[in-house]
Amino acid sequence: MNRLTAEQKIKPHWWLKTFAGAILGFTFSYAIVAIFAWFGSGGIGATAKIQFNMWMISPIWLLVLSFSYLFKTGVKAIIYLLSFNIIAYSVFFFLRWVS
Amino acid sequence: MRIRGDILRTYQSIHTWTGIVAGLVLFIGFYAGSLTMFEEEITQWATPPSHQLAQISVEQLDDLILKASATYEKAQQGFKINFNEHSSPMTWYEQGGGRSLSLDDVMMHASLSEQGELITNAEPANELGNLIDMLHRTAGIAGKLGHEDLGVLVLGIASALYFLALVSGIIFLLPTLVKSFFALRKNKGVNRFWLDSHNLVGIASLPFHLIIAWSVVVFAFHDVFYDGLSLVYADKPMFERSDTPQIEYSIDQLPSISTYLRKVDELTDGYHAQSMAFSGLSSSRPSVGITVINHQEMMRNNTGDFIYMHPYTFDVSFSSIPMNEEQYYVSYVASFFSLHFGGMGGDIGRWVYFVMGLLGAFLFYSGNLLWLEKRRQKQPIQSKSNRFMANLTVGVCLGSMLAVVATLLSSKWLYLINAHINNAYITCYYLVFFAALIYSFFHGAAKSAIYIQKTLFIACLCIPITTLLAIAIPSFGEWTSTNSTNFIVDIVALVFAGIFYFSAFKTKQRAYHGERNSIWAL
Repeated sequence: MNRLTAEQKIKPHWWLKTFAGAILGFTFSYAIVAIFAWFGSGGIGATAKIQFNMWMISPIWLLVLSFSYLFKTGVKAIIYLLSFNIIAYSVFFFLRWVS
Repeated sequence: MRIRGDILRTYQSIHTWTGIVAGLVLFIGFYAGSLTMFEEEITQWATPPSHQLAQISVEQLDDLILKASATYEKAQQGFKINFNEHSSPMTWYEQGGGRSLSLDDVMMHASLSEQGELITNAEPANELGNLIDMLHRTAGIAGKLGHEDLGVLVLGIASALYFLALVSGIIFLLPTLVKSFFALRKNKGVNRFWLDSHNLVGIASLPFHLIIAWSVVVFAFHDVFYDGLSLVYADKPMFERSDTPQIEYSIDQLPSISTYLRKVDELTDGYHAQSMAFSGLSSSRPSVGITVINHQEMMRNNTGDFIYMHPYTFDVSFSSIPMNEEQYYVSYVASFFSLHFGGMGGDIGRWVYFVMGLLGAFLFYSGNLLWLEKRRQKQPIQSKSNRFMANLTVGVCLGSMLAVVATLLSSKWLYLINAHINNAYITCYYLVFFAALIYSFFHGAAKSAIYIQKTLFIACLCIPITTLLAIAIPSFGEWTSTNSTNFIVDIVALVFAGIFYFSAFKTKQRAYHGERNSIWAL
């Protein structure tokens, strides 16, 4: 493997990446859970599904947070995660509008 | 497997810092959690057998309820029926009760004499098991934030960090994982051995750790998560709400206990009732919570599943067992709880979880030791931050264990001097914990690690000795009829006495014959 130049290496940017993963990862997890809650198996009213949904928020959130440090820079982490959020919420609101 | 060096270094930093920040409170949460696998047994062990009244047959229970509720006003509202042979058939709280832990509850035990007369016995309820559970959930951090315990929230945050530590740990271990997974290199120096065992335990019990990290975050922040979900649900109701019923019931309309047992047979498959807790019996919102057990199933808690129903109409309001095919989310959610509480596999499952919890505690302790080793300098006196962390690790981890063992040991003696039992437990825990912590900062980690472990050995050894004394000497009075299952607590204490003796010996060897330029050298 070739040695990476300083440019190619991922930057630490601890605060920005942690912020991006913690806040945007949190909102992203809600978007995924929201889609599942309305359109996943059983629909919005299934017995005890609310509890299942609540349980699903934290693993998605924490996984996004864990892998946020793989972005090369903090700014990139914010841009990417923001776009993921916009996509996920667009899908959600589109599906709500269609149904 | 090849991973880029910059990624490895990034995740190594994350692993190090999340671990060191969260490790100490998680250590307490884990080993105390191991003990909570046997929470009820510990309470049973600590309660003088004379508090429990003789069990009676199921047919007699209705007569007992009738007589007790006629005599005692509190029993008209609610009470608990126990089917366990070592517990009183009927109990209720004369004072206190309710969900939150309180130290001054007075529990009324009731049974029938052979002539069918009501016998009752009011005793302060022993909360030792609950207190250990409290320690498990809060790591001993007192105080409230809103209506939530501060310690629970601290452990919630620590658990999120722990999740990060797990993921980052796997990532930076991947390149060497295949090669050195089962390697426990003893001949490559002490550090290598600690590192190898840290990795082995971490990887081998990884699913368990991921489940625990996830569920603790959920337990700590479920209110926040539900608040967020209320936006998602918009105008849809999140929880089914029942209409306020108009009918006032009273206890003389109560169906017989055997009716409920038949109902449990109807509703479930292979479960049997362990206890039934009635509440609000003379009101418009009566309820009965039936704890049911089936060791063949994945139960929600290690203590069983539950069914809540209306005691007069048998309408099931909530259950941790799905009542029909469409309720699959009920069993998913119950299985998440079960995976945290070790509700599967019966007693073997509980012992497995007990061991896994202790291994988890070992993971945090060894992690801290590795952090210290990594920052070690080639000089007899180590840096101030290193010494501080070593003192803190020894003081908190070993001190907390010593405090719990001392509390268990004190139990029978506290009954002997008629102490206010639950308050005395708490005083004992914090007194010993802070004494050990101060001692370790005063004398340094190396010396205190040896002496606290020796004290642990002696304290553990004294637990079965106290039990034997209590049975042998009649002036202890209350303990002569101790049932044999209680001895398991004493046997486990004896095993741990052995473990602490061995580890104190090894620690001493390291102090006198180990690496000289170390925080552990004496």
